[in-house]
Amino acid sequence: MNYNWDWNVFFKSTGIGTEIYLDWFISGLGWTIAVALAGWIIALILGSVLGVMRTLPNKTASGIATAYVELFRNVPLLVQLFVWYFLVPDLLPERAQIWFKQDLSPATSAYLSVVVCLGLFTAARVCEQVRTGVQALPKGQNYAAMAMGFQQAQIYRYVLLPQAFRIIIPPLTSEFLNIFKNSSVASLIGLMELLAQTKQTAEFSANLFEAFTLATVIYFVLNMSLMKFMGWVETRLRVPGMMGGAK
Amino acid sequence: MIRFMNVHKWFKDLHVLNDVSLNVAAGEVVVVCGPSGSGKSTLIRTVNQLESINSGEIWVDGKNVVDPKTDLNALRAEVGFVFQHFNLYPHLSVLDNITLSPLMVKKMERAAAEKLALQLLERVGLAHKKDAFPAQLSGGQQQRVAIARGLAMQPQVMLFDEPTSALDPEMIGEVLRVMKDLAESGMTMMVVTHEMGFAREVADRVVFVDHGQIIEEAQPEEFFMNPQHDRAKQFLRQLLTPMQ
Repeated sequence: MNYNWDWNVFFKSTGIGTEIYLDWFISGLGWTIAVALAGWIIALILGSVLGVMRTLPNKTASGIATAYVELFRNVPLLVQLFVWYFLVPDLLPERAQIWFKQDLSPATSAYLSVVVCLGLFTAARVCEQVRTGVQALPKGQNYAAMAMGFQQAQIYRYVLLPQAFRIIIPPLTSEFLNIFKNSSVASLIGLMELLAQTKQTAEFSANLFEAFTLATVIYFVLNMSLMKFMGWVETRLRVPGMMGGAK
Repeated sequence: MIRFMNVHKWFKDLHVLNDVSLNVAAGEVVVVCGPSGSGKSTLIRTVNQLESINSGEIWVDGKNVVDPKTDLNALRAEVGFVFQHFNLYPHLSVLDNITLSPLMVKKMERAAAEKLALQLLERVGLAHKKDAFPAQLSGGQQQRVAIARGLAMQPQVMLFDEPTSALDPEMIGEVLRVMKDLAESGMTMMVVTHEMGFAREVADRVVFVDHGQIIEEAQPEEFFMNPQHDRAKQFLRQLLTPMQ
């Protein structure tokens, strides 16, 4: 291959103001993190509620949660994003439409769409993990809590969920990493997150290989750090006398 | 204190409880025994409605537990239950296992709940294990903690569902001694067990269950020396001389 590598490209001016290419990557990384963390908060809260619903004896509650999971797991993420960005705003009441399309900056409306999209998509996956975590617990835990006179909410709050969440930290970590990786779909609706900035750098500077190499390294280091962080969380929450959490 | 009136329960076609009527007076210790699959565990679990029933009535401390108007959670808080497999909460320390329901159900103050828990741990001989986690204890120790946990709600009645069946032989004694001590303190107890030594020494009455029916009910001396029914005789023979 005949290619002139030029790693100094990141410190060269973009030709726009005083920015260098590295600034674009930093800004892109900021958006990636902002999208992923906000989406994760939605996914964790909604997914936990849905996961609990799926384990309830109440058929309506578990039916609603099951339908949700089927819907959001079986439609491609990109299709969901286009629905949230291109279709849903048109279904809003007129004032909300004007607000979304005209009052908000394009970056903000793209940001809102992608956060909602990733949050709801990932919630379906978190739901399934919470459900399996609760179902993996011995039935006796539920009986013991019932026998003490706990109400159902207390059983979940004090007995089932603290154990279930410990069990599911490893698969939950995968979902946490996935939402960072999936956030790259935002580039397709014009949000200038890491991937979009990479493509833009490649086009502006013609240093395609350097740009994508840097993006790869940033994604890799980011996800490795998250994985280490979650490993630390898991160790901290480990129950003495037990390997790897609850039995 | 506990009164079963013509209780029936089916699991699909299986008639697990067949017209059971039984009274347990306040302060009385009743041992329930019978072959496995006879319905004795199901019977004891209906008292606090861990198992529902199809017909009949069960009264506990003047309240009908099968009446939908009865506050089941309040009633369960008055009934201590000890399980075969202990069912301690593995993510909580021994002390937190015991204080959880006084704190959350009785809304007791933390200091009072911890004081009570320490007294109970003292009573079951495990005060030095208050900060341990269940997985760090032996089976016998776990079951003693489970008894202390049941007592922490200051219940009117204690129910024991095969409390020593999952224990190694050398740990059975320590649990039975705690239960005997409890019986002597005047607690109303219903105990499903195969420990005939305990039944003979501690029980006021022995109830023999087979195929979902109570077929014999007698004082321990009477039951062991002079069982009336063939099935009870056979059961005792198998239990006392298993090799023959």
